[in-house]
Amino acid sequence: MLTLKLALRNIVGAGIRTWLNVVALSLSFVIIIFMQGLYNGMNDQVERATIDALYGGGQYWQKLYDPYDPLSLTDAHAVVPANIESLMTNNEATPILIRQATIYPEGHFRSILLKGIDPNQHVLTLPSFLLNEHRNLKGDGSIPALIGTRMAKSVGLQKGDEITVQWRDVHGTFDARDMKIVEVMKTPVQEIDNDQIWISLDRIQELTSMPGQATMVVLKQKVKDQKSEATFKNVPGWNFKNLEFLLADIHALVKQKTIGASILYTILLFLALLAIFDTQVLSIFRRKKEIGTLMALGMTRAKIIRLFTIEGAFHAFLAAIVAALYGIPLLVYIARTGIALPASYDTMGYAFGEKLLPAYSAGLMIGTTLLVLLSTTVVSFLPTRRIARLKPTDALRGRLS
Amino acid sequence: MMQTRTQKSEVRSQIKVSSQIFRALVPLWLILPPLLHSQTPTGDEILKKVDENMFSESKITVLHMIIHGERGSRTLEAKSWQRGTSESFTEYLAPPRDAGTKMLKLQDRLWTYSPSTDRTILISGHMLRQSMMGSDLSYEDMMEDPHLPHLYTAKISGEGNLNGRPCWVLDLSAKKEDISYYSRKVWVDKMRYVLLKENLYAKSGKLLKTMDIREVAEVQHRWVAKSILYKDVLKEGEGTEFVVDALALDVVIPDYIFSKAALKK
Amino acid sequence: MIRFLLKGLLRDRSRSSFPVLIVSAGVMLTVFLHAWLNGTILNVTQSTAQFKTGYVNVMTKAYAARADQIPNDLALLGVDTLLASLKQQFPDLLWAPRIMFGGLLDIPDEKGETKEQTPVSGLGVDLFSPNSPEWTILNIRSALVRGHLPEKQGELLIADELAQRLNIQPGQKATLISSTMYGSMALENFTIAGMLRFGVGPMDRSAVIADLSDIRQALDMQNGAGEILGFFRDNLYHEERANAITAEFNAEYPSNDPENGAGKFSPIMETLRTQSGLSEVLDIMAVYMRIIIGVFVFAMSVVLWNAGLTGSLRRYGEFGLRLAVGENKGHVYRSLIVESLAVGVAGSCIGTAIGLAFSYYLQVHGIDISGAMPKENAMMIPDVVRAQIEPATFVIGFLPGILATFFGSAIAGIGMYKRQTAQLFKELET
Repeated sequence: MLTLKLALRNIVGAGIRTWLNVVALSLSFVIIIFMQGLYNGMNDQVERATIDALYGGGQYWQKLYDPYDPLSLTDAHAVVPANIESLMTNNEATPILIRQATIYPEGHFRSILLKGIDPNQHVLTLPSFLLNEHRNLKGDGSIPALIGTRMAKSVGLQKGDEITVQWRDVHGTFDARDMKIVEVMKTPVQEIDNDQIWISLDRIQELTSMPGQATMVVLKQKVKDQKSEATFKNVPGWNFKNLEFLLADIHALVKQKTIGASILYTILLFLALLAIFDTQVLSIFRRKKEIGTLMALGMTRAKIIRLFTIEGAFHAFLAAIVAALYGIPLLVYIARTGIALPASYDTMGYAFGEKLLPAYSAGLMIGTTLLVLLSTTVVSFLPTRRIARLKPTDALRGRLS
Repeated sequence: MMQTRTQKSEVRSQIKVSSQIFRALVPLWLILPPLLHSQTPTGDEILKKVDENMFSESKITVLHMIIHGERGSRTLEAKSWQRGTSESFTEYLAPPRDAGTKMLKLQDRLWTYSPSTDRTILISGHMLRQSMMGSDLSYEDMMEDPHLPHLYTAKISGEGNLNGRPCWVLDLSAKKEDISYYSRKVWVDKMRYVLLKENLYAKSGKLLKTMDIREVAEVQHRWVAKSILYKDVLKEGEGTEFVVDALALDVVIPDYIFSKAALKK
Repeated sequence: MIRFLLKGLLRDRSRSSFPVLIVSAGVMLTVFLHAWLNGTILNVTQSTAQFKTGYVNVMTKAYAARADQIPNDLALLGVDTLLASLKQQFPDLLWAPRIMFGGLLDIPDEKGETKEQTPVSGLGVDLFSPNSPEWTILNIRSALVRGHLPEKQGELLIADELAQRLNIQPGQKATLISSTMYGSMALENFTIAGMLRFGVGPMDRSAVIADLSDIRQALDMQNGAGEILGFFRDNLYHEERANAITAEFNAEYPSNDPENGAGKFSPIMETLRTQSGLSEVLDIMAVYMRIIIGVFVFAMSVVLWNAGLTGSLRRYGEFGLRLAVGENKGHVYRSLIVESLAVGVAGSCIGTAIGLAFSYYLQVHGIDISGAMPKENAMMIPDVVRAQIEPATFVIGFLPGILATFFGSAIAGIGMYKRQTAQLFKELET
């Protein structure tokens, strides 16, 4: 108890020096959490955006559908089973019909996917409502269509442009229509962008003579948890794909990057340790007389070591409080507003949003705080071992043996 | 090969003879049309006549195909045996790289054989829709039932003049659902009941492909297309030319030709 | 005077070796972080270069315009001549002609009838020329999971995941169905030599690799190649050099010069950055890296500034004594600054040197993370994390190293002017 009191008094007594150290150390806290949050945010963002835009709460695939086999698409369509359809009427699921199609940008053959989605759906963030806003194009005019920025760039299309799309209906009869690009959507999710054109579900069903049919049905997020098991039984001819399955590729990628993240974390941790180590070593150097006095007064070496270690740990503890004081509002602010990214970019493995949104989990915050506290305590302790070898007489004279 | 060559020259001489007759008769035909068409046939009747004229129960064709690609044109030569609407066998003769490649169509199945791999492979649905040997035609186009009256009902939409030949213009609309082209427009030579031009449309009415018959010839009392330019309208390029070098109609073709065993022979 | 100060510094370890140690450590961390983040970007560029674009890439103009469609009908022809001139003109790069292609792989049963048929995406690379760079570039040897590497023509490597799905074993026959560059149907028999693991989802699902000559034969592309990829020998992307090479090469093949096979089939060179939207990836990574480096340098500066500051604060007693014996405040202050600069320079130099040495080691050897990777470690993507030293890596450490130490002491020194000598002297006691 005396040691604690003494440590506290010493720290407060050191005044400005303490506060400088504490501020420097608190900065390390904030930065470690910020960097990791940024990193997690990046990974989270990819996952979240993909879930929001395409995966929802999982997907039912028509049994023949295989996204990696274009051959499968011809036959991968069927009428949605009644129990799943009931979810659709409640806006808890939305069907998507996928057909193979051909476009001829600049006269060159190009195979694409023509996807139909309900413009009124509220299951996915995919901005299908835009197809609705331009319903007036219906009739003899061209069909309103939605593409992503990557597709737009790759085939040289802009908002307002028209393109002829050719496909076959359910009987194999050729059909071709002009489609008008009503919007080029900027999406971080490549899976709703690359080599595909979105049109209204009822149009594609009508055009391909596949009324009420779909290739997949996307569930609203968490619907599976809310409904009874029975709702999802009896879906013959359809296979349910859960998020774990759908996100497997993203998870694998994140796993690869985690090793990189841990190296960054280590370097940042070193930064914090450097701050405390510096303080600690200097204290012992400068406070030899004090140590000698304490020894002369009868304090054991172990107690003195404990005193100095506690002082070091106190620095970290105070730093954690200070970090919380200015760090939490700052980090929350950044998490809300995000860090804007340059306007045009694309990625290969990763899908970023327009800005980076850091994500801090409680685990990250508490874990980091504990880790920093623990390691600073260890680092505070390390230089104090010299005290153990100190002779009181030398110490009193200000010498280190 | 020898046999092919003799057949080829036989058929060639037939074409030659018939085109001589054709030249001799031209002046007469120029006077005749008004007299002949006091009674206009219906579209379906015309289409039926075209079918009767153009299609024989069996035929052996030697043809070359000029494919205009990005890097200039190349010519493929092939000999093809056909019986009815569902059996056909094609062997490529040139260029050397493609020589010996064979294709067998039985009903709606298509096999291909390549001598270099000694494999017979069934061309599946997806592949059938691909361009045939780089041409503007897909394998599937090749496999269509050639009897238009089976597939379409015809209406006369007008009369016209194409390449100096008076013709009927017919609008064809599909009789059944499982058909590649929902509608067609054909130009029929009023005299010879041979197609002079054909447009193929999507369900929406959009023009997808065109066929221009640049030359016709009379073979065994039938008028047939001798040179055709086939073009995918949506695609850039000059299209694909088919030129019939030799044609023998109503010949007896042995059964073994239309067997998978013949592919490996 | 400086000699005197240096002597003082050297003799008082608490004023010299320790601050230098701290500054060195901070600088070292900064330098290493910079090199390591560069290395992260490098990993992206390397795997892109490896599989897709090379560091520079020669194609026909028409091919380049639609490169994402892999239009082999627009491929380069007369590759031998072009390759020879590239090798002669730019000997500092490794040149690798490749053909990418799509098609079907047909697996026969005992009777030779189709048992399985699946779409594949293929890569024709030079496997058999002596000194072919592809073995190292594609890391093929270490990616092999089963079977053996191709030893003769007509052998095919296939992605392991795909092979498992098709249930095929090494030694089995397969027929590739594709189309020639002229559009004819292409059929070619192969023997499955071995299975590879790429570590890239789409490739693991559909990739096959064969020797270039086999693919040329199959696709009727005699002496042709879709692309000729250029790789720097150190496998690092040197952007300026790549730009210079590209400019030099393209100047020789002006677009409308009929002499050089004008128009759309004349060759054009592009750099890694200009292809496949990678410039945007690199830009975004650069932004991310700048944020991290910026924040880190700032934090490190605060730590070192703080070290300098507290170090100097502790010397108020000494200053009091020096003032008492007649030194003027300006002199004391100046000597403090000079000392801090000396510490900063020394620490920065040592830190940069150690940081660079460490980074260089990681640049050459890398950290093998394969042990930390899930599943089998055989993979084509780099399983070694490397650092990359850039010109900026040499100077980045001096920023926190010298400036922060300098400002720390400068601010602490100001305090001296605000206090009485007696007061400072008194601090000697504490």
